[in-house]
Amino acid sequence: MTQTLKQWRTRMLLFLAVVGPGFITANVDNDAGGIWTYSVAGAQFGYTLLWAMIPTTIALVVVQEMASRMGAVTGKGLSDLIREEFGFRITFFLMLALVVTNFGNVMAEFAGVASSLELFGISRYIVVPLAAAVVWLLVVQGTYSTVEKIFLVASLFYVCYIVAGVLAHPDWKAATFAMVTRPDTGGIRNYGYLYMVIGLVGTTIAPWMQFYLQASVVEKGITIRQYAASRWDVIVGCLFAAIVAWFIIVACAATLHTAGVTQLNSAADAAQALRPLAGEYAYLLFAAGLFNASLFAASILPISTAYTVCEGLGFESGLDKKFHEAPVFYWLYTLLIVAGAGVLLLPGFPLEHIMVLSQVVNGVVLPFVLIFMLLLTNDRELMGTHVNSRLFNVIAWITVGSMILLTLAMLITQR
Amino acid sequence: MIALSELLGASVRDASGAVKGRVRDLAITPQDHPTRVTFLIVRTSVGDRLLPSDAVKSFGKTLRTTDQQSDWTTYTASDGVLLLKRDLLDQQIIDVHGRKVVRVNDVELDGLPAEQHLSLHVVTVDVGARGAIRRLGKGVIPSFTLRAFLDKIPPRVIPWQFVDLIEVDPARRVKLKIAYQGLSRMHPADIADIVEDLPAAEQKAVIEALDEEVAAEALEEIDPDVQVSIVESLDNERAADIVEEMDPGAAADLLGDLTEVRSDEILKEMDKEERDEVSHLLEFGERTAAGRMTTDYIAVSADGTAHDAVEALRAFEGGPVALATIYLTGPHDTLAGAVPLVKIATAAGHTPLSALSESAMSCAPDTPQREVASLFDKYNLITLAVTDEHGRLAGIITADDVIAMLHSKK
Repeated sequence: MTQTLKQWRTRMLLFLAVVGPGFITANVDNDAGGIWTYSVAGAQFGYTLLWAMIPTTIALVVVQEMASRMGAVTGKGLSDLIREEFGFRITFFLMLALVVTNFGNVMAEFAGVASSLELFGISRYIVVPLAAAVVWLLVVQGTYSTVEKIFLVASLFYVCYIVAGVLAHPDWKAATFAMVTRPDTGGIRNYGYLYMVIGLVGTTIAPWMQFYLQASVVEKGITIRQYAASRWDVIVGCLFAAIVAWFIIVACAATLHTAGVTQLNSAADAAQALRPLAGEYAYLLFAAGLFNASLFAASILPISTAYTVCEGLGFESGLDKKFHEAPVFYWLYTLLIVAGAGVLLLPGFPLEHIMVLSQVVNGVVLPFVLIFMLLLTNDRELMGTHVNSRLFNVIAWITVGSMILLTLAMLITQR
Repeated sequence: MIALSELLGASVRDASGAVKGRVRDLAITPQDHPTRVTFLIVRTSVGDRLLPSDAVKSFGKTLRTTDQQSDWTTYTASDGVLLLKRDLLDQQIIDVHGRKVVRVNDVELDGLPAEQHLSLHVVTVDVGARGAIRRLGKGVIPSFTLRAFLDKIPPRVIPWQFVDLIEVDPARRVKLKIAYQGLSRMHPADIADIVEDLPAAEQKAVIEALDEEVAAEALEEIDPDVQVSIVESLDNERAADIVEEMDPGAAADLLGDLTEVRSDEILKEMDKEERDEVSHLLEFGERTAAGRMTTDYIAVSADGTAHDAVEALRAFEGGPVALATIYLTGPHDTLAGAVPLVKIATAAGHTPLSALSESAMSCAPDTPQREVASLFDKYNLITLAVTDEHGRLAGIITADDVIAMLHSKK
């Protein structure tokens, strides 16, 4: 008896030890934009977009592993490395693109906060400024690290989607087949379809995650000696994120799409996907989950962006510095939050639309970040014997190529 | 004054006046001269060529040389030269004057007339907006417009003598004469801040290159997690050299955070005297009086005179706070009293110490650190003696350790 208890405890401890940067990053990845994009994908296209999940997951594992390996080998952040290897001008424009992209993501997180609480009839004019203030203080006061655990536990909410997905009695056969069938070639001429595919990839493999993950690995002081455990952390995290994503799409396809709801106009529509699990109270569950996910990511995104940009461009950064010692850092951080939350208060601002759009922008910017990651992880002077394997290069370059082609196709079909 | 970013990519004309290549990099050979550019690397149609700087007649958008392209030798990479673009531009350096780690945006050079030619010297390193905007605008904005605009931006530059380079390879550090003289002169707490700001490999490199005594003082001030990762990366011998120089209490805390195997290996390399002290301290719990105490204190026989105390002060090698109190010991090292430094300083040499003595405040080795802190608060202590069950003086706790302890608990 005590023997099994002991074994169980050891196992729990092992699991907690594995919950590292990789797992946290993957969890934050299913943020407001993520939940919303997966929901829209399931509602609008049913099971037909599921084919994208397997290649996207493989690419996710490969890309995240590259980022954490780079962090462990070099002990430097991604933007530092880009600056040191490619110079100031390239770094400047890449950081500019990242700020714009992440600004969209920050908007999406606050939109998630607003949209989740609007289910309770609370006005966004109260919720958004309040959430922005809470996030700002949480990080600047240094209380974030304590709250992170609460966020992490609360993100177990995603399990709801797995249960709801099962209870919705989806057409398992159709869902499984949809995963492995060749995508419909007609989709390549359909703007809405391409938009959604890019959004799906962009939300699963967001550019900012690579910067954040690598920085966390460096911050934790993980070196190449302890790297084996970190690799598992990354893989487990990615798989968990992908399974959740799959079930959100399936749950939405089985409930909304089959019921003919193909356009999600509000959070109330999306909440219906949880009806098989929670019935009448589906909206409660959905609101709580979306709220947690949004606030979690909103606490990480602006500060991570501020760090990335300041380190790449050589501005003072760090919460241990005073405001006047690191003005650019604090201003950038504050502006991202204030402006990101502020625009949502413009009358008639389309909250739901912006959550998906920001993820599409992620998808469009992704290949450019990936190219730099690929060049860096293949640099023998930098990585020594830990350069990319050929398989990793092939997968990552295919990802770069496909994302650029998809974006071009989307731009052409738009007219 | 000319900026490195303006020189890079500039066309090079040889004696015939024809463009023969473009500037790829500039090299300094620190072993010959700390600031003078010794040669340029020129990218030509037939590969990289080495252009000695004394062959350069004028610098600017185009460089004119006095010799022929055929005189330029093939460039082969060498460890002993500092390449301004590769090793300096966009890299992190230590700003000794501003006491922080900064990233280089540009390098400013100046041409000084020498005999037949111009000799080019590195003057400052640009870490501000001016260098950044110059590099953004280069080739996009006409150069005279750009120059006029840049002149309006207040410069943020570091004079070259205040720049300490960070080089991970120890052999190359020697060749480039990187000795961290500037860094060594800084306050240990400032060195600690700088080291904490660096990536792991660079942390190790800096600590390795510093003088043991300086490294030890800086290490004491570094965050415990970073301390551990730095010491783990050092080889045992070097780690032991540094730990020996540390305050025994701080050394014990550090070794206690390492794995037992590693801590034993380092202890084995240490001198017997320091090893005994540290391993003795290691036996106590970290959060007790004994875990916080140091064995670097001044103790004089209670029969002695003020003169004996002054002699003991002269011989003392520990920290400045421990100097504040001279402890008196009776038979078998039992604590017999304490004399504040002020009293020694104002007393005549022949005054017996017993006449100056005050009753000494002390606590047991297993006193929890929280109680230690309240003793300091209540009695306004600077130091506190720790005595064992027989009343023997085992060590002292100093006020700075208590402040550090309270601060770290926040």
